[in-house]
Amino acid sequence: MDKLTLGTRNVSIEFPGVKALTDVNFEVSTGEIRALVGANGAGKSTLMKVLAGANPDYTGEVYLNGEVVELRNTMAAKKLGIQIVYQEVDMALVPTLSVAENVMLNDMVMSSGRSPLLHWASLRARAREVLERLHINVNVRALVQDLSLAQKQMVLIARAIANECNFLILDEPTAPLSDTETAELFRLVKHLQETENIAIIFISHRINEIIQICEKYTVMRNGEIVDTSPITPDTTTREIVEKMLGRSFEENFPKEHVPIGEKAFEVKNLCGADGKVNDVSFYVRKGEIVGIAGLVGAGKSELCKTIFGAYEKTGGSVHLNQNELKISNPSHAVKNRIALVPEERRKEGVLVNETVSFNLSAASLGKFCTASFISKAKTDANARQYVDSLGIITPSIKQHVRNLSGGNQQKVAVGKWMAADCDVYIFDEPTKGVDVGAKQDIFRLINDITKRGNSVIYASCENSELLSITDRIYVLYDGRVMAELVTAATNEDEIMHYAVGSTTKYA
Amino acid sequence: MQATLKPNPLATPKNKTFLRFLLDWAAVITLILCFVVFSLIKGERFLSVNNMINILRAMSITTVFAIAATVTMAPDGFDMSACTLASCSAYVFVSMYLWYGLPLWACILVCVAVTLVMYQLTMFLILVCKIPDMLATCALMFVHQGLGQWYIGGGAVSTGMRLPSGAQPVRTKLEESFSAIGREPWLIIIMLVCVLIAFVFLEYTKHGRFIYAMGGNKQAAKLSGINVKAYRYLAGMITAVFIAIGGILVSSRGSSAQVMCCDNYLMQSLAAVFVGRSVGGAEKPNAIGTLIGAMLVSTLENGLTICAVPYYVLPAVKGAVLALALVAAYATKKEQ
Repeated sequence: MDKLTLGTRNVSIEFPGVKALTDVNFEVSTGEIRALVGANGAGKSTLMKVLAGANPDYTGEVYLNGEVVELRNTMAAKKLGIQIVYQEVDMALVPTLSVAENVMLNDMVMSSGRSPLLHWASLRARAREVLERLHINVNVRALVQDLSLAQKQMVLIARAIANECNFLILDEPTAPLSDTETAELFRLVKHLQETENIAIIFISHRINEIIQICEKYTVMRNGEIVDTSPITPDTTTREIVEKMLGRSFEENFPKEHVPIGEKAFEVKNLCGADGKVNDVSFYVRKGEIVGIAGLVGAGKSELCKTIFGAYEKTGGSVHLNQNELKISNPSHAVKNRIALVPEERRKEGVLVNETVSFNLSAASLGKFCTASFISKAKTDANARQYVDSLGIITPSIKQHVRNLSGGNQQKVAVGKWMAADCDVYIFDEPTKGVDVGAKQDIFRLINDITKRGNSVIYASCENSELLSITDRIYVLYDGRVMAELVTAATNEDEIMHYAVGSTTKYA
Repeated sequence: MQATLKPNPLATPKNKTFLRFLLDWAAVITLILCFVVFSLIKGERFLSVNNMINILRAMSITTVFAIAATVTMAPDGFDMSACTLASCSAYVFVSMYLWYGLPLWACILVCVAVTLVMYQLTMFLILVCKIPDMLATCALMFVHQGLGQWYIGGGAVSTGMRLPSGAQPVRTKLEESFSAIGREPWLIIIMLVCVLIAFVFLEYTKHGRFIYAMGGNKQAAKLSGINVKAYRYLAGMITAVFIAIGGILVSSRGSSAQVMCCDNYLMQSLAAVFVGRSVGGAEKPNAIGTLIGAMLVSTLENGLTICAVPYYVLPAVKGAVLALALVAAYATKKEQ
């Protein structure tokens, strides 16, 4: 197998107002697994889109084995065997078509010269063959809309491999996956490296994963490549993060101690969400941050949404300040001063096509109205206050939220509820897909909430975060509370012990 | 290793699989139920060969328009103006035959050609001007109505009528071949051929699958290198041909082209597509589902008429069937 090398020479990209990439020189060869790391907005995805032919307006050169190639459309990139699996898998899949068609979609398009008739049997057979080659167990006749997220990702990787593939770009593939699913993905990536002549570029925010699987890493910052180094046994997370941020960084966010008051919010024997919430009881005191730990699929999101009334409750009760609340839809929850910052922020947390200003007042519009007419002066003043206090990076409060980076969108989603002045804040994976810098801002925000004497429920599968920010932790497994732990007296191992479903006491 | 992946959610709870099965086949089950119930009540009068032909005849024109709508809706398009355009096609068809005395085959060709040309305007508004389908075709509805009636001078095109210019028509009566198109067996054969063509095209050609791909996720289709505009255009052109066929069937069956003769078929053709959408768990507009949808509506109408339900109540029944089909498709969906 010949070694192929793909590289860029002085590639730059300018979007209106921003320079997204500046003179980037990047090189990768088949046979290696390369990590690409950087804070949100560092230009990782932009660079990868250049390689995938999805950013046709680049300046500079891209070369394959020393020869300059023009990657001005996605077809050109695919013909050279450059395949990309985007983070948002639903973007690239057709939910109403079968797995077979989704796997073979590119192939069907590429071989457009031949007979227009479709040979279903051979299409399914070839799809099955690709899936088997990767040891992926999915029925080729199933519709993609019925698959789990991890399966959808596998289908996309299979699609990439189904064609000639020399360079496979995986854009944050593990962000939505559970630990077992991540392990399965790593197995697949290793398998590909061993059996095919292929280079894998792996974008991830989870630095420990990168150390585990990659051989070399490239760090980007502000649209430039700042470093490329091999990963050795001595490589530490801290070292990589410092290169990403360009400054040294406090690994654990120091928890500020806030006086904890009496019991404010309590859930008793809650059941619902199609059995994914099972007899859950817990309480939160004033000024306290309670963590909900558990693996992906343990029912954390379902619990949050059931409390909030977004999922149907089939049993149990929710109490605030000793009063039982009747919450059967989110509107009731908001009236009772409960806020939810949901996991899928683009879909559920912010109105991406509205301005920053509108988003920040959306949860409490009543406050900014005079006789049902929105007072622009009041919403703008509110927006300016929160843009400042939350450190939201935006050119103006009139900017549409879809143009902000992930971390800043998350800040808007949080700020919206800060303005609404609630008693209980539920955060569901607030740091998902957010870089370390923005993460600290979000932690600071959550601390500020408790300083006002409010209660916080913090659901996350990042145990290290739970350990650094919460006061107590409830560990969920299969929709049940397995353990209640005091943060100061526990560790990551103990959380994992219960999160995988052990019923024995942690020794 | 393989066991680590979550099992297919479809495969897990048994009662759910059953519910899903019921919903997927709701239209077919309802159709069978209709047959059973009407046969029990009216016996031979419903289940006779003659009456079966009645049902097929009654559904055929709706089915052709519904097939046109299926092809438009497969790439996530929509056409409110299909049936007003079909009226124009009918005017052209009958006027060519009566006014100018062209042979039947030439009339059909001219009719199809004119419909294709007029559909360019629809495609221009949707693809070049980028107006959403619904809005563009809403506007075109009025354009078609006005243009068509301007051409026929505001009155019907039928035997014994003069041209708008006052000239005498070349033909004064319809020949047997003209009327045969609108009678069984031809009417039914044409319908079935239309369904078959659409079925093969959508299910068994790459182009059909690409059209479905862009209907399911336009962005993904685009990123896979599918020329989405070209395929929307192709779907539009095929739609236009079916629209022309529908116009020809209506005029042949009515022995004339009455003013706005096809306009009323729009809603029932859309209803047939919606009813057929979920047949067999397809989850997309499909030819066989559409055929079943049209057959369901027509069987209900026929059976109820035999049971002496007044004709003016029938629309309510049609509406109820559509509503139920939509309940099956949407009420069980998880809120997104």
